[in-house]
Amino acid sequence: MNKKLHALLLISVFVVATCGLIYELIAGTLASYLLGDSVTQFSTIIGVYLFSMGIGSWVSKYFEKNIISWFIQLEILVGLVGGTSSTILFLVFENIASFRIILYSLVGITGILVGLEIPLLMRILKDRYEFKDLVSKVFTFDYIGALLASLVFPLLLIPYLGLVKTSYMVGILNVGVALIVCISFKKEIKAAVYLQTSAIISILALLVGFVYAGVITNFSESLTYADTIIYSKSTPYQRIILTKKGKVLRLFLNGNLQFSSDDEYRYHEALVHPGLQALPNARNVLVMGGGDGLAVREILKYPNIRSITLVDLDKGMTGLFKSNHMLLNLNKGSLLSPKVKVINADAFTWLRQDKKKFDFMVIDFPDPSNYSVGKLYTNSFYTLAKAVLAPGGIMVIQATSPYVAPKSFWTVDTTLRSVGLHTIPYHNYVPSFGEWGYIMATENPVYKKPTVFLPGMRFVTKESLDLMFYFPKDMAKVKTEVNKLNNQVLVKYFEDEWSSVL
Amino acid sequence: MSGRPFYKSSELVNGLSRRSFMLKAGLIMTGIFLGGCIRKLNPKSAYKNIKGNIKGPNAKAGHILRDKLPLPTPTSTSSVKTLIIGSGISGLSAARWLKKQGYHDFELLELEDHVGGNSHSGKNNVSAYPLGAHYITIANNEDTLLTGFLQDCGVITGFENGLPVYNEYYLCFDPEERLLINGQWQEGIVPDFGLNAGDKAQIKKFFTLIDELKKSKGNDGKYAFDIPIDNSSADDQYRALDKITFKEYLHQQKLSSVYLLWYLNYCCKDDYGQGIDKVSAWAGIHYFASRRGKAANAESNAVLTWPEGNGWLTRKLATEVSAHTRKGNMCYSINYNQQGKVVAGIYDVAKSTTSIIVAENVIMATPQFVNQRLFKDTINRPVDYTRLNYSPWFIANITVNRLPQGKGAGLCWDNVAYDTPSVGYVNAGQQTVKLTDEKRVLTWYLPLCNHEPRIARLAAYTRTYEQWMDIMMPELEYMHPGIADAIEKVECWVWGHGMIYPAVNYIWGENRKAAQLPIKNNLFFAHTDLSGISIFEEAFHQGIRAANQVLAIYGKQQNI
Repeated sequence: MNKKLHALLLISVFVVATCGLIYELIAGTLASYLLGDSVTQFSTIIGVYLFSMGIGSWVSKYFEKNIISWFIQLEILVGLVGGTSSTILFLVFENIASFRIILYSLVGITGILVGLEIPLLMRILKDRYEFKDLVSKVFTFDYIGALLASLVFPLLLIPYLGLVKTSYMVGILNVGVALIVCISFKKEIKAAVYLQTSAIISILALLVGFVYAGVITNFSESLTYADTIIYSKSTPYQRIILTKKGKVLRLFLNGNLQFSSDDEYRYHEALVHPGLQALPNARNVLVMGGGDGLAVREILKYPNIRSITLVDLDKGMTGLFKSNHMLLNLNKGSLLSPKVKVINADAFTWLRQDKKKFDFMVIDFPDPSNYSVGKLYTNSFYTLAKAVLAPGGIMVIQATSPYVAPKSFWTVDTTLRSVGLHTIPYHNYVPSFGEWGYIMATENPVYKKPTVFLPGMRFVTKESLDLMFYFPKDMAKVKTEVNKLNNQVLVKYFEDEWSSVL
Repeated sequence: MSGRPFYKSSELVNGLSRRSFMLKAGLIMTGIFLGGCIRKLNPKSAYKNIKGNIKGPNAKAGHILRDKLPLPTPTSTSSVKTLIIGSGISGLSAARWLKKQGYHDFELLELEDHVGGNSHSGKNNVSAYPLGAHYITIANNEDTLLTGFLQDCGVITGFENGLPVYNEYYLCFDPEERLLINGQWQEGIVPDFGLNAGDKAQIKKFFTLIDELKKSKGNDGKYAFDIPIDNSSADDQYRALDKITFKEYLHQQKLSSVYLLWYLNYCCKDDYGQGIDKVSAWAGIHYFASRRGKAANAESNAVLTWPEGNGWLTRKLATEVSAHTRKGNMCYSINYNQQGKVVAGIYDVAKSTTSIIVAENVIMATPQFVNQRLFKDTINRPVDYTRLNYSPWFIANITVNRLPQGKGAGLCWDNVAYDTPSVGYVNAGQQTVKLTDEKRVLTWYLPLCNHEPRIARLAAYTRTYEQWMDIMMPELEYMHPGIADAIEKVECWVWGHGMIYPAVNYIWGENRKAAQLPIKNNLFFAHTDLSGISIFEEAFHQGIRAANQVLAIYGKQQNI
């Protein structure tokens, strides 16, 4: 055997070692990105990985003949599994809750395969070196490879390629080793052509993955969620993310918290009952926004309500809250009630067409953090809303925090008044959000505080209502402009007020 | 001095300019042609995936006029009391006014298959979009003719404390405009981000000057700068400003900040299709100092716009007179018969047949370069047609499925990059109340003012779609790196004669006055080239003025 081949095999050791460590780093990084808590994730991943390598080493003794051929096949397999691992993990992460099982299985498989590599290589090389030289050379290259991997991974690969592309690239390197070994030893192995072809096909497949890696996902968002993400989906309108920690579910739209299951009752009770309890004869209700069905759940508690029309832009949102069992538990299947009609439409456009009248209206849009949503808080929108409010009816608007964003809150009030509505602002404390504000609006000053509420309320009572209607000095009314389509002052106030907090 | 030497030198100048025109035109055409060839040799253009087409006004019909192509003999003759030729805003406005005054015996002729002239618009499955003029500002409150129309079509919904209330769906939605400057998008187009105190002071000085001029009245008690232009003061103190370029004026005022000069040059390009070195100082100032509109529910100078731009206003004007409108019919000649009536030769573009319309009187709502060809040698006017200059424009409607965002302010209605050839793009979907998905149509405007208009026009007609992409894409990529991948379609539109521009001495010179004069009290003229600036308001008033001239014949003129 010539010197060239010696060098080649040792380079293989080096590459194999580098790739092996990178797979481990990829799995650890991915797990801490997606699941949070990097100490736990890295520890468990490294543990599982090393243990799996041990299994691989132990299994290696059962490979008796055609070691080179086995080694080549092994390399191809490592390249394929390792190369596609991050893609697989990203894809399954979007869809299933048992993500950890897949994660650790993949880490285990990769570990076993990588664990097989070095023992097999040593056996290929065993007749070509003295034992002491062999051990010295193989482990030297192994550890140098490890050093290289641990340096290029954080400094070059992640910043420039990202996780997914890095996986594919390392996979290609692995299969590349297989291909080179295959070509160099073609006289010593059977079925060299078959192995060579599989190696080339695998490299091509990985190359395709490398090129299209950008499409797979932008995982950086995962960094911002502290809890386990159990569901994430991009609809044409927004990114929906559902997280879970212990028993607490949280829903985020475009990164903004919409509710937390442990205290959402405070928000939805406050949103619905002060208004609806005052309308014992209410029949038809309109809910705009609120595709989570939680406000609808509260409304359905009133037997006098005959129909609820829910207008939410996003089918992805209402669909999720009609089907996921955890969420159905939370909203009591409200969106499936025969009284509820779900319309997936743009609220502004929908409202511009002629409508029947509603006795009670819940306007529960996301906060006015951009110009698109800001339009739903304008005088033009409230003019349309007023037109569908039945005589004596009440509408209630979620109006951001009067404590953090008093100008924003009172802008909603000013804007409602500018179209000739009478307003009743109020607020309560929702731990996840802080001090939160709502505004009821009526055509005539007819609102009377209810004194009795439905049984089973956890927050709203006659006494708490008195507190809710009282605005202490630090949330007192401020003078603001009217929010219009052609000035969008609310978005500017909102941006200013919240940017100083967040 | 007699007139003779003047004529001679003029001929000489014409001869010289003709030769230099041929030379320049030749060089530029060769350049474009060679560029096209090289491009074909190297088809690996970065923009080869971008699909679309180039359209423009009916060139075939235009060439019949220009090249005096032989036409079939007329097969029929009809008559009408009043014939309006051209259904741009001037023609539509004239027709509307006649009808509003109870005068119905008129016909409105249009060579295209649509009305509206350069307020034309288009539509695809993402949005309607403008193909030309795309906004107006709120009306000057004294301009009751205009506010009356705006009330008729629901743009003004009522009055509060004497001020008009504008329909808030038509007032430009916020955020209105942004400028990419010094690496960042700033709010507003007046340069500010990264400017030093000296530049900022000059910009402030300019606007103080404008505030003064806005209020100024001449010795005749009229506003120095008004809309329509002919309502402006005759005071020579102001009219003298028409005799120098805007650039010279700014130099005289010691305004030299490059940022300010860029901004004013941009404004002139935006409104007139030419820079500060070409338009007169009077016109340059008019852009800023003539708009004093106040509203109950919007700021002074607020913009009114629609997805299809002024195509919306076109539709409102056109529906009232649709029964009188004949599209696809081009007037190719105007003569007088022995009874002194006006005889118009009409070419039916679709059928390729001709007919004759005999009219008591005619409103020529056509640009003067067209009138020159219609009149041929039979009707002479004391007008030097060569002094009327028209800016060519290129407009691209770009459908994107997302918009890569840079640093600073987000997408606005009007989006401009500092120191680029174009005047930026408008977001056609600005006036939608929907929470839009990422698909949008952006309307990109490029005034072709790098060469003199006739050369730029010829060059524009010669360029291929790919060559337009080579011009447009680098600028778009500069504004939004990576946008090439987000583009689904680019629909191009070339206006050879996009709009008149107010060259030095045109607005208050003899030529414009002469061009406005009726002939034999039965041939009247209405077009923005008779105002010198091409804005909706001028066209609107041009139409009413000519219609009133017709009504006066029958003793129907209203005192307004």
